[in-house]
Amino acid sequence: MARSADFFSFLGLPRKLNLDMADLEQRYRALSRQFHPDYFYNAPAAERRASLEQSSYLNDAYRALKHPVSRIEYLLQIEGVAPKSAADSAKQVPPALLEEVFALNEELDEVRELRAGGAPAEEWKTRLERARTPIDAKRAKHESQLQELSARWDAAVDGGAPAEERRRILESLRDRFLERNYITNLLSGIERELGTDT
Amino acid sequence: MSKVVGIDLGTTNSLVGYVKDGAPVVIRDKSGDGLVPSVVSVAEDGSVNVGREAQRRLLTDAQRTAYSVKRFMGKGREDVRHEAEHFPFRVSGEAGGVVRIGLGEREFTPPEISAFILRELKRRAEAHFAEQGEVDNEVDRAVITVPAYFNDAQRTATRDAGRIAGLEVLRIINEPTAASLAYGLDKRHTGLIAVYDLGGGTFDISILRVEDGVFQVLSTNGDTHLGGDDIDVLLIDRVLGDAPVASGFGRTPEQLQEIRKAVIQAKLDLSEREETTLNGQRFTRAELETLIAPIVERTLGPCRQALADAGLQASQIDEVVLVGGSTRIPLVRRKVEELFGRTPHSELNPDEVVALGAAVQADILVTGNRDMLLLDVTPLSLGIETMGGVMSKIILRNSTIPATGGEMFTTAVDNQTAVDIHVLQGERELVADNRSLARFKLRGIPPMPAGMPRVQVRFQIDANGILNVTAREERTDVEQAIEVKPSYGLTDEEVERMLLESFEHAEADFAARLLIDARNEAESVIAATEKSLRSPDFPDIDKADLAPGERQKIESVLAGLKMVLNSNDRETIQKWTHALNDATQHLAEVMMNRSVHAALSGRSVNEM
Repeated sequence: MARSADFFSFLGLPRKLNLDMADLEQRYRALSRQFHPDYFYNAPAAERRASLEQSSYLNDAYRALKHPVSRIEYLLQIEGVAPKSAADSAKQVPPALLEEVFALNEELDEVRELRAGGAPAEEWKTRLERARTPIDAKRAKHESQLQELSARWDAAVDGGAPAEERRRILESLRDRFLERNYITNLLSGIERELGTDT
Repeated sequence: MSKVVGIDLGTTNSLVGYVKDGAPVVIRDKSGDGLVPSVVSVAEDGSVNVGREAQRRLLTDAQRTAYSVKRFMGKGREDVRHEAEHFPFRVSGEAGGVVRIGLGEREFTPPEISAFILRELKRRAEAHFAEQGEVDNEVDRAVITVPAYFNDAQRTATRDAGRIAGLEVLRIINEPTAASLAYGLDKRHTGLIAVYDLGGGTFDISILRVEDGVFQVLSTNGDTHLGGDDIDVLLIDRVLGDAPVASGFGRTPEQLQEIRKAVIQAKLDLSEREETTLNGQRFTRAELETLIAPIVERTLGPCRQALADAGLQASQIDEVVLVGGSTRIPLVRRKVEELFGRTPHSELNPDEVVALGAAVQADILVTGNRDMLLLDVTPLSLGIETMGGVMSKIILRNSTIPATGGEMFTTAVDNQTAVDIHVLQGERELVADNRSLARFKLRGIPPMPAGMPRVQVRFQIDANGILNVTAREERTDVEQAIEVKPSYGLTDEEVERMLLESFEHAEADFAARLLIDARNEAESVIAATEKSLRSPDFPDIDKADLAPGERQKIESVLAGLKMVLNSNDRETIQKWTHALNDATQHLAEVMMNRSVHAALSGRSVNEM
């Protein structure tokens, strides 16, 4: 089905990562008023269907571009640098994180032993909290790296940078992005571990 | 022109409204009563009573009288096994099938019972329009409201009820969102609104942002099994002592209904006064509050979840709106006020506000007035069953609708030509903990080695919150046939049969009407197509956007439809109408897309 090539152009936006949120909202509302099925009730079926398709696409676009993380993910996808399978990459430890993950897993094993041995909750919880400190620090670093790379990407788009340079930025973005996802999963694993006694 | 109405099809009471001179009003009977009790009674001679009269019959002929049927909509026999004990009527149905309600010798599905209520509302509205001296007083189209937290099966059952009642259901909209439209909050405010809706059988909370007349729902949550009915059951238990209601102490169903009536009266009294009498004894508001505190408490969890999903703190909410009769209870008001830290709105009658909003939405649909726009969400995540009985989510809850999601399927063995897909709704990890919506069978996959076919299945939730599924095999570009087996719903054939059986339609009349409808639809498609082909932009579009041969295809299908238009063969007319719709869909999209630039450059809608 032919439609605008991607979410950015559908919303009339350049393919950039720092968006003016008020502008995005305004565009979303204006286009909703164009396409929403409410206004096509009296139209013939082909137009009704087109309105349904267009407003679905608009809602999908708004959802993807609203949050910085899903915006990066979407950009990687349309630029053709997305990981082959999100599921596979989530299982594989990113090389840059090997050390931290290894240390954390050791710590988690010990905590599980402590719990199995009936150690007081205070003791193992403190250890878990300590174990996540380096991971938390890593995450904070990632967030700022992602922001910095996003700014670089936007500058490259504005300045019409050569394809190779863009690709390098995108690949760095992808690596940071995958590490970020991995860390998020890791941290929620710890949350679960902490939460299981209640 | 026939009339369009908005209908609140409630658990306890139903109402019908419309927009009169720009403002929504509820249609009342001669005594000024806008409520039609959602009660249906079938007498021994087969005559059907609805509303107040049916409510009276609960006391004389309880086993032939159904109430709170909304609780059974879109449910399976297993879902209601426990609850059925509280009702005087028979609740049956096959295992794994839709619920059946027995009244006397006859059995009805919940949509059929609801259709009796809808027909009563339709009659009431038609009488009202006739009285107003309207030339065409027929009411054949309606917007019907449902709890925001209703799942796909419950929404579909509601739409089926409308169809069985002979109404074209223009739109299913959510009750809390309808209420916010009725409050007209757009005119006074830009801001965040929480709508707390505690009715007879269901609880909803919706968080909305209102700006430029756009009502955008950010999140919704609720419990479709929590409301005034649950309070009544607690009170009945109290009157009967410690024994469960089911045993009834050997009381007749009519005696139990007397008790039910008395506890409801006591409950209503205590919203006005500090004490009343129940079963000959003093009963205070404090006692009632102790008893119902757990029920009120159960509404707060969904409120917190909705706030969290919207990414908001309670203190950020600018306005709180109360909807539903149960929000008259002082304890409910206190708890809501405590949670949000502000006095809730209750200027509009909480029983009527949903019907008023439905009337506003009906008016928007028929007039195309773009001042207000409702952007609602799907309350529950939609997913499919994957290996190991795990649900894989495709459209997440609180996604703005219409929304789409896709999933690629392939085959497991060589030359496999069909794939089964089990569609679910819910938030839990395991299939068994979620709601089964339907099983789809994809057929006609070209025989290929295992893993070779790439069947792209597309799930689309429309503006009613109802799911549609399509599938296409990508290598061959063949549209796949999909066979749907709704888990707890009626098939199209069943709905059509029920419509035919409903005594208001003699079969011949009905066939004639269907033929006229088919011709009207065909004529409107022909007109629209000819208009597009004559448009000054068309030559340019033909050159730039249409595929080679696309114009010729449209023209030949158009000629074909014109040839069959005056035949009496409804199916042929429909077949050609569908063909022309398919042939022109791409053109319609292209033309719509051309207006995008105009919209984005900030010009007003009227200039386009």
